[in-house]
Amino acid sequence: MARVEFINANLAIAEGVMAAGLRFFAGYPITPTSDLFEYLAVELPKRGGVVIQFEDEIASINAVIGASWGGAPAMTATSGPGFSLMLEGLSFAIMTETPLLLAYIMRADPSTGVPTKSTQADVFQARYGAHGNYEIPALVPWSAQEAYELGAKALWVAERLRVPTILLSDATLAHTFERVEFVPVRRAERKKPRVPPEEYRPYEPEDDLVPPMASFGEGYNVMVESLTHDERGYYAPTNEAHRRLIWRLVEKVRRNWRLIHDTKTYYMDDAEVAIYAYGSTARAAYAAVKELRREGLKVGLVRPTALWPFIDEDLKRAVGGARRVFVVENNIGLMYKEVARALRDKEVVSAPLIDLELPTPDQIIEVVKEWRR
Amino acid sequence: MRKEVLIFGRGGQGILLMGHVIGVAAAKHAGLYVTSTESYSSEMRGGESRSDLIIADSEEELDYVKVRNATDVIAMYPPRLGLYEHLIGEGALVQFDTSFNIPKDTLRPSWVKVGAPYTRIAEEELGTPRVANMVALGHFVRLTNFLGLEAVEAAIEEVVKKRWIEINKKALRRGYDLGGVEESLLR
Repeated sequence: MARVEFINANLAIAEGVMAAGLRFFAGYPITPTSDLFEYLAVELPKRGGVVIQFEDEIASINAVIGASWGGAPAMTATSGPGFSLMLEGLSFAIMTETPLLLAYIMRADPSTGVPTKSTQADVFQARYGAHGNYEIPALVPWSAQEAYELGAKALWVAERLRVPTILLSDATLAHTFERVEFVPVRRAERKKPRVPPEEYRPYEPEDDLVPPMASFGEGYNVMVESLTHDERGYYAPTNEAHRRLIWRLVEKVRRNWRLIHDTKTYYMDDAEVAIYAYGSTARAAYAAVKELRREGLKVGLVRPTALWPFIDEDLKRAVGGARRVFVVENNIGLMYKEVARALRDKEVVSAPLIDLELPTPDQIIEVVKEWRR
Repeated sequence: MRKEVLIFGRGGQGILLMGHVIGVAAAKHAGLYVTSTESYSSEMRGGESRSDLIIADSEEELDYVKVRNATDVIAMYPPRLGLYEHLIGEGALVQFDTSFNIPKDTLRPSWVKVGAPYTRIAEEELGTPRVANMVALGHFVRLTNFLGLEAVEAAIEEVVKKRWIEINKKALRRGYDLGGVEESLLR
């Protein structure tokens, strides 16, 4: 059996990304993320990788972009205030199709909020925090074990789709210690050019809309262009080139959603009522579902392991024949809007349960029962 | 098997270490699934300190990360029982450090109430109250009988600083020798 440890979700992420082949980390300490950083600072160099603390989050994400262009699977980790500072760099990485992983450990609410406690307030910031039209993946673990697995997967997705990818965890999971088995994971690998250097065009996609990526020093002409560009990487301020690029950036993530998504269902076979929940809150929802089942209610749980891209057909499949769907989340009801839009033929109910610890199963049970009357 | 273990006391009593040792023992040495959270106030000593563990044979039995209906409780500072009483299930095994006062009015008839003066034993027999947590943990292992003593010893060797390992293991065994439920019932 693979090695087993009793660790929190942050350390599990660190182990997962190392297993997937992480080579470079740059960051700036922030609660509740710092132990991930500290752990990598000790462990990654032992495996030949590099960990650097920069003067702030802006420098950190730019260093990660540079390392990625140097050919290293690279990441940073932060929380709300740090993520806000990284947004310009993130936008640059989106436009230049720079693979990188950003572990975003959510903490409570605007500005400095409650740094050690959690909500799920930043699900839309993870989606559209940066400027511009774009789509980027955001994976959302619910346990330390899954933090290990999705950490590895998010790095793999970033490299495979040549896109900045977010792993969206939270302070509750950062403080939850669990049995984690270091199961085998896929090594992160990016597509390399299959043509000789003179024929290489750095932004020319293949059928999957992902352009093979040459790194600096491999003998290819490399262009890192954040202005709207053509396949050669030359500035192309025309509607035609701009539309082509923007739609490809969006479609490359949407069309390849099966590489990203894996929506889980529990007790959904005969469910008349579904609870949609993600991340740490889904743990409380799962307990609530089991308890309601014991009372004879036909309730099930739908749990996305990725929030973005949001794929209507995947959600519809998971919800199946349930008539009513409760969207339970630790925020003001953010994902509800997407779920309600996708499931127009169902009764979709928002259950925004803001709780600095974690919504409790009892709160969720109360919501479901209240609605039944 | 599914256990909800609640350990509470004051900052400085080593509550979080107890939780961590149980977690490592369960996950790494007893082949069990475990989820654990901890909470503590910012003071170093004297504040609230609490460790929650959910332990089960299978991953499917783990869900919510905090204790809701404790099956097993270690009250290292019983005067604060009132703060946690609502989290303790009917029929729970509640283990008290009887070196402190026990709030009799808060006790529920359905609980199996056991205990010993862990802090006094640690102080008088082992020379330091700091290992009271391991005395209590040794007793917990004997009373609950789902973690082997060897598993917990292995966890201590892994978690505790080298020069403290021997005294902690000694304290653990002292607690284990306090005996099973029958010998330990508070009457």
